[in-house]
Amino acid sequence: MLPEPILKTLELTKSFGNLIAVNNIEIEINRGEIVGLIGPNGAGKTTFFNLVTGLEAPDKGQVVFKGVNIVSMPPHKICKLGMSRTFQITRSFGEMSVEDAIRVGAYNRLGENEVQKKVDEMVEFFELGDIRKTKCSDLGLASLRKVEVARATATEPELLLLDEVGAGLTSVELIKLMAELKKLNQETEVTLCVVEHVMQMVMGLCERIFVLDAGKLIAKGMPDEISNNQKVVEAYLGRRSYIESDVAC
Amino acid sequence: MNFFKEINLGKLLILILFIIALGIPYVLRANQYQVLLATTVLLYGVMATSWNIVGGLAGQLDFAAFAYLGIGAYVSGTLFIRFNITPWFGMILGGLVASGFALLIGIPLFRFGIKEVWYALTTSALVEILKVAFNMWEKVGGPVERCLPYFSGSWQNMRFVSYAPFYYIMLAMLVMALIVNQKITNSKLGYYLKAIGEDETATEVLGVDNRASKLKALFYYSFLIGMTGGIYSCMYGYIHPSFFNGPESTKVAILGIVGGRGITYGPLLAALLLVGAQEFLRASLGGEFSGLYLLIYAVIMVIVVLFKPRGIATIFQDIYRKFVVREVKNKDVA
Repeated sequence: MLPEPILKTLELTKSFGNLIAVNNIEIEINRGEIVGLIGPNGAGKTTFFNLVTGLEAPDKGQVVFKGVNIVSMPPHKICKLGMSRTFQITRSFGEMSVEDAIRVGAYNRLGENEVQKKVDEMVEFFELGDIRKTKCSDLGLASLRKVEVARATATEPELLLLDEVGAGLTSVELIKLMAELKKLNQETEVTLCVVEHVMQMVMGLCERIFVLDAGKLIAKGMPDEISNNQKVVEAYLGRRSYIESDVAC
Repeated sequence: MNFFKEINLGKLLILILFIIALGIPYVLRANQYQVLLATTVLLYGVMATSWNIVGGLAGQLDFAAFAYLGIGAYVSGTLFIRFNITPWFGMILGGLVASGFALLIGIPLFRFGIKEVWYALTTSALVEILKVAFNMWEKVGGPVERCLPYFSGSWQNMRFVSYAPFYYIMLAMLVMALIVNQKITNSKLGYYLKAIGEDETATEVLGVDNRASKLKALFYYSFLIGMTGGIYSCMYGYIHPSFFNGPESTKVAILGIVGGRGITYGPLLAALLLVGAQEFLRASLGGEFSGLYLLIYAVIMVIVVLFKPRGIATIFQDIYRKFVVREVKNKDVA
């Protein structure tokens, strides 16, 4: 028998007015793996994240995390259960130092005496030593994203959702970030779910990929399978027949 | 090594300032009016320092300071007038009632996610509503001033011939407010509040119970101010609905912002400089140029907001940092 998946969604649906942002999505994420969630703009990836982390309530369906249905649970309780996330548009604590921002996350599971140790650990792991006293508002995008990952990791999650951590980074920064995430996954056995636009990152990092388009799950599988999947290619590049007919004209 | 040096430097400075503060009533003893002015400055110091917990750390623009002050004053004053309960006990009860009331307001506010300008509007309305309500509440005096019984120089009833004892009581209150502030700033709650002030969505997913944290902040804030209310009623010797003062509540928030949000000594600094300047100017220029003090007050505020939008305290922080950093650098060279 397969082990219980850490996260499972059942018939998850959310619409905004006439737009169905997330339509009947059912996915399973297993413990310890790195999963990618891709799709063109407006495919519903961020909405899916919001539903899973409790920031928005679904119209229908269930989110089962570690065997518990967490729909309608407030986000901080979901975090206590063992799930945290980062944001596509960075939400930094501008006036706080890097160290203090990480500390906020570390307080999730640790008391006053152990917190500092955790902060030091995170600073070391993500190589933030040079900027640990810097205010977050003085940081560049690459560092900000790293701080977000660090402070989410400090909550000691079992499942970490990363919303476009690679967006806007140079390829050197990206490779470094990928290596760090892989190391994080191996060392702490945290399950990672990565929403990403940058294909280089998804293909290099993820073991399994889910593809969303217009709110629907259109494909899932290994990176190789996905890149050859007709539906996925269509979702990103448009349907071949259209292209041919354009040429014919 | 440097760490200890830093602490000692800070402690020394605090000690010097405290001794100066202790001596002020002695210096001004010839003129009771000036002692009252000094006490007023301290009063605003206490209020702005307490405001810092909600307004500075948690970033909630609170305009209800005098609502809690009024409640504290009424509870302590009424208990004294009707049941002859000493204000020393009354002011603690006043603090509790004020904070209970604050929680009653805060629970629905935070439950429905009222924040930013809407929170500001709600809290400023609160002061006005209470003013009207107490005007109509005949049992505690209605629109008539109720005077506190007078005992000539009685410590146990907090009634004095001179203003100097009030000055010291207020100073003790200020020390308490500063300590509470500092303790919160360096604790889990403080970090949570600071983060909430920056971004509430981000804190939620880091496991912070925003609502509970904000309610705790509101509790400390309103308790400190409610207690101060007890002293306030004794100092002026009466209770009256005009204690629920909207414009002055706004002033407390302004002091907190001008002083430096989230910096423990910032609001106090602003109170000392701005209220001090204001009271001094009013007392000295009031006769010839009435209203000039407001002009000067406004100019000071505009300058601060233009050049130090994070507050006066940041000036001192920068100087301090430069001083300490230079010291470290020199050591490295050596």
